[in-house]
Amino acid sequence: MPHALKRSLIYGALIIWTVIALFPIFWTFSTTFKVAKDVQLGHIIPWVDFKPAWLGLRAIGLSPDTIFTESTPRAEFVKRFWNSIQASFGASFLALIVGSMAAYGLSRFQYRWKIWKNNDISFFFLSQLILPPVVLAMPFLVLYKELALLDSMLGLILIYALSVLPIVIWIMKDQFDTIPQELEQAAMVDGCSVWGAFLLIILPIALPGMVAAFILSVILCWNEYFFAALLTSTNAKTLPVMVASQTGSQGISWWSMAALSSAAILPLIIIGVFLERYIVKGLTTGSVK
Amino acid sequence: MASVDIVNARKSYGDQEVIHGVSIGISDGEFVALVGPSGCGKSTLLRMIAGLEEITGGDIRIGDMIVNGLPPKDRDIAMVFQNYALYPHKTVAQNMGFALKLRKVSKSEIDARVQKAAEILGLIPYLNRYPRQLSGGQRQRVAMGRAIVRDPKVFLFDEPLSNLDAKLRVQMRAEIKELHQRLKTTTVYVTHDQVEAMTMADKIVVLHDGIVEQIGSPLELYDRPANLFVAGFIGSPSMNMFNGKIRAGAKPFFETASGARLPLAKAPESSDGRDAVYGIRPEHLSLGGDLNIKVTVIEPTGAETQVLGKVGEDKINGVFRERVTTKPGDLLAVSPDLSLVHLFDLKTGNRIG
Ligand SMILES: Nc1ncnc2c1ncn2[C@@H]1O[C@H](COP(=O)(O)OP(=O)(O)O)[C@@H](O)[C@H]1O
Ligand SMILES: [Mg+2]
Repeated sequence: MPHALKRSLIYGALIIWTVIALFPIFWTFSTTFKVAKDVQLGHIIPWVDFKPAWLGLRAIGLSPDTIFTESTPRAEFVKRFWNSIQASFGASFLALIVGSMAAYGLSRFQYRWKIWKNNDISFFFLSQLILPPVVLAMPFLVLYKELALLDSMLGLILIYALSVLPIVIWIMKDQFDTIPQELEQAAMVDGCSVWGAFLLIILPIALPGMVAAFILSVILCWNEYFFAALLTSTNAKTLPVMVASQTGSQGISWWSMAALSSAAILPLIIIGVFLERYIVKGLTTGSVK
Repeated sequence: MASVDIVNARKSYGDQEVIHGVSIGISDGEFVALVGPSGCGKSTLLRMIAGLEEITGGDIRIGDMIVNGLPPKDRDIAMVFQNYALYPHKTVAQNMGFALKLRKVSKSEIDARVQKAAEILGLIPYLNRYPRQLSGGQRQRVAMGRAIVRDPKVFLFDEPLSNLDAKLRVQMRAEIKELHQRLKTTTVYVTHDQVEAMTMADKIVVLHDGIVEQIGSPLELYDRPANLFVAGFIGSPSMNMFNGKIRAGAKPFFETASGARLPLAKAPESSDGRDAVYGIRPEHLSLGGDLNIKVTVIEPTGAETQVLGKVGEDKINGVFRERVTTKPGDLLAVSPDLSLVHLFDLKTGNRIG
């Protein structure tokens, strides 16, 4: 019986861990349906501990009684949600295009800038991650003010693209390095130009890595708070900033904050459940044998 | 189809030159093997013909066009790589048709040509598979198929068989040769395996450290190696070589450093006392005679017997068609075929007789 015992122990541990991991998400979702008293008393289980109410969803205009009416909070929420989508997808897309080309160059051509060679350039890109974003706060505030990019979606996309670029380059260079150079050489002998070989042969092979890099940077941009809070106000504000602003002068409105948080983590949960295997595949497997 | 002319071609990486002025003329329809030890610059030279490496000096002509600055796609050549370089995301048929598709050949024409090449190579059942679903030998054939559907001016092969097992290698060797006889496309074939070069090529170019040591037909190279390097490289098992001095006179002979006497038919002119190297191939020794070998190892393979032993301090190796009845420690009397003895200058390594 030790085998069965071992199995049940493993499954037991996994179940416990699952509960621990899922609890914050459950708590966020359920708090959406609590009133102030339930939050303060720490009621956990719906219908047993507390009676679900529509408070949270009503605060963002999504409860059954408000959903078909004109609603300012809902318009506000939808706008922030859409901003977040634009910023994270736009920035990831931009970073993926620029980053893939940079990574391909670093993987295939020998560069030399003063005493810097490919490895030094790669490390320089990666080293940008070491710097805390706070260092960039003042310069970017000044720069964006001068360029009239404050509170604009374009400005947000640009800085997000910049901040995920090192990771994209890193992932994509790793991908390209695993693809044998003979593949594009064969393509060139077959009749491709350098660009043709890159677009027709190398990109399709590097696709799993690109998908992984894209998803990862969407997640990073989606969660970004600091620059959004710093560089945007009424127009380009994103969901995380809106969540944080729920701590008003009359105390925290738990239910609406929970409703917003739920809306903010929902896309990530969907990505996590459905696209996780693409991330793993893209980051672990090289391209060809 | 076209001739290929390489005139004084050079290649440097940074300030390090790896091809030092190589000239080779390849006529239309010829099968030329570039052979040499690993790192001697065979691949580099082949890739210079393909246009995958820029050339630092000299000229390369395909047909009557100088192609020095031409990108690979405009040279009308096809290349088979050592690791096959099949496109992993394309099926066998798509791999083979890719070049035609880039040239905007019609769909029906592509299908017909792919079909025909697949028939020649026995790939019909695999046309819809992906490279990862094929064995090594099948991938090798797809790589060849990709080359032959193009009907290019020149085929370039870079050690195409070195990833196959020994048996398959022998089989594919014959197939490639047969294919060449059928298509008669000018072919440059790189290999480090001299047996492959000897069996397949019309003409062999022996490369060593970025220079050409000798160019000739397989038998020319075997019969009259121009220098010590070629003598040692071509032929298996390789030639026996002895350092020593030529003793001219009424009855010339060769005296090895350890004092043994090896017979000579005649000494080259005014060569008495000259420092030289005496070469005789193992298969050009015959049983009986007045050269005594102290036997150390006997390796019968049935068809022939290989005897390893010593003459004076020097190792010697003999291959005999006859059954040899001797055992380690014995003396075996042999005689070199005097018309097949090679003499090389010790300093320059060049042939002197
Ligand atoms: N990209 C490169 N940079 C620097 N040296 C190289 C490069 N490619 C090849 N070489 C050098 O050129 C020489 C010839 O290489 P190669 O043509 O690949 O040899 P072979 O194919 O005969 O084994 C080797 O000494 C190798 O180290
Ligand atoms: Mg090579």
